[in-house]
Amino acid sequence: MVVSPVHYIAVPLLAAFLMPLLAKINRELLRIVPGVVIAYLGYVSVVLMNQVVKTGTIIEVIAGWHAPWGINLVFSPFTGFLVSLMVAMAFIIWLYGYRFKSIDNEPAMRYYILFLMLVTGAVGIVLTGDIFNFFVFLEITSISAYALTAFYRDRNGAEAAFKYLLIGGFSSTFLLLAIMLLYTQVGTLNMAEIALRMHDVPTNMKITILILFLVGLGIEAEMFPLNGWAPDAYSQAPSPVGVTFAALVVKAGVYGLIRIIFTIFDVHGAYEYLIVMGAVTLVIAEFSALRQSSLKRMLAYSSIGQMGFVLIAFGIGTQEAVFGAIFLMFNHAIIKGLLFMSGSYLVFNTPNKEIQYLSGYGMKMPLISLFFSLGALAIVGLPPFAGFWSKLYILIAAADNNLIGLIALILGVSIVEIVYYFRVMGRLYFGKPAEGSIMQKPTIGGVVAMSILAVTILVVGFYPDIISSYIQSAAATLLDKAQYIHNVLPNADLSQLQNLK
Amino acid sequence: MDTINYNQLMSIGIYGSAIGLILIGLYAILIKKHLIKIVIGMSIVDAGVHLLFIAIGYISNGTAPIFSPMGEKLIEQGTPMVDPVPQALVLTAIVIGFGVTAVALSLVIRLYRHHNTARIDQIKSLKW
Repeated sequence: MVVSPVHYIAVPLLAAFLMPLLAKINRELLRIVPGVVIAYLGYVSVVLMNQVVKTGTIIEVIAGWHAPWGINLVFSPFTGFLVSLMVAMAFIIWLYGYRFKSIDNEPAMRYYILFLMLVTGAVGIVLTGDIFNFFVFLEITSISAYALTAFYRDRNGAEAAFKYLLIGGFSSTFLLLAIMLLYTQVGTLNMAEIALRMHDVPTNMKITILILFLVGLGIEAEMFPLNGWAPDAYSQAPSPVGVTFAALVVKAGVYGLIRIIFTIFDVHGAYEYLIVMGAVTLVIAEFSALRQSSLKRMLAYSSIGQMGFVLIAFGIGTQEAVFGAIFLMFNHAIIKGLLFMSGSYLVFNTPNKEIQYLSGYGMKMPLISLFFSLGALAIVGLPPFAGFWSKLYILIAAADNNLIGLIALILGVSIVEIVYYFRVMGRLYFGKPAEGSIMQKPTIGGVVAMSILAVTILVVGFYPDIISSYIQSAAATLLDKAQYIHNVLPNADLSQLQNLK
Repeated sequence: MDTINYNQLMSIGIYGSAIGLILIGLYAILIKKHLIKIVIGMSIVDAGVHLLFIAIGYISNGTAPIFSPMGEKLIEQGTPMVDPVPQALVLTAIVIGFGVTAVALSLVIRLYRHHNTARIDQIKSLKW
């Protein structure tokens, strides 16, 4: 069977709308089919990634309309890597959510429809080469994310979701305005052609459009001060959905920001802006995490901080820094996934998900506590784990650019990070066990999912080489703007293109 | 001269009303305390953006971008054609806006049942 990037969008979307029919045949199909669909996407990823290594970027033309008129999908080493990461995480989340107690009580059909829609949207954002199509996929992702946030009836999900929806509505308005202004200036919606024509746009106009884009996408990418939705949404959504936010939604938002700044615009100072905003996000999020009493909110703030770190690394903009940034995105997906998965079992029955009730759980729930501790050690960047390498590469890149103050800031904030993660670990292992707390036994799927993530963290930590060649070519592709335009528009004249970095 | 003035007035009117709609919607979102009014405000902002989008693609005295015998004859005679792309985009954006509004309203119903009020200053169990 011939695989193509279109399958990433068509297959889950079709499956999502077939769900009500499947439910009529057999209730169990509802749970199995999403896993089969995502496993198929994993197969597509493997085939296409091998193909990309051999033949270079794959451009999928939709309905025979070639770029710049039609919509095209770009499967380059960079987008391909992100998409494969998302699909892999989606599969692990499916495994984790399979027979998840609360989802089984609530209607499973709605959950899986929304989940498949979210996967479609997030993957579509990364693959598409058309700026309006990008907006549409972002809206598919956001609308499913709003609904998933409000999935539990008995929690404050609706309040968190309404907050998210309000701020997400602003985001989409800003994006639409940005796309509209961009269209008036360049007269095209194809990203490669926009990038080609960008140098003709007056600088004031460019900056206005860029600001609108940054506000619109910063909301999805959890950039300070636009991340007010994140802690509420993470803490009120079902646990598999929290993992989905960290692994798919935020990744797609960061991808959007990066694509806009690296490929489409050529504004001076955008990279410095990324560093500054990333640093502010990192500092404020980590200090907010320190004073949280709820475990899930703490993890959410930590997630925001990591995204700030990613933005700093992208802002440095050299090959090594971008390599570190993509590596950190990968690490954040697997490590924060493990932390959310194990953390939500730890606080399953504690009131308000608070950390203070976790005393002595290390003896009562040894496996889950071990997974959580592994994730905590990995995310602060201790040596034998995966998180160490990405932090090291980013720090080396910063040192090469003489950004000594930035290195001091990152390392200083790491201490804060260590304090709040070790506080939880200290309670888990050295706290006095409280009487009468009820343990939640994890499902088999949950244990398998967490084991896969834990093993990945260890393997990547010991042998970073197995993943670094993919990330290396992803970083090279992202930085090579001329190649991107050439791939999409083979006959384009690239002589006027200026490269800032 | 008359026609130019008329066109200028038209464009000021259309762009002005688009901006006005956006501002009215923002006012409703930021000032109003009732959830339904906030949702209405979001819809009004959307409508303003859509109007702005349509206005950008409009050419005065242009013909519709449809391949009809009449339209083709007009284009041969030199009549300009309005840009069809913004119209297609707005159609998509309207559908998206509809979806967002529907989700928002269902969330309002959920919030009302949970808290027994639809006033946003009385719903504050989640804070930073």
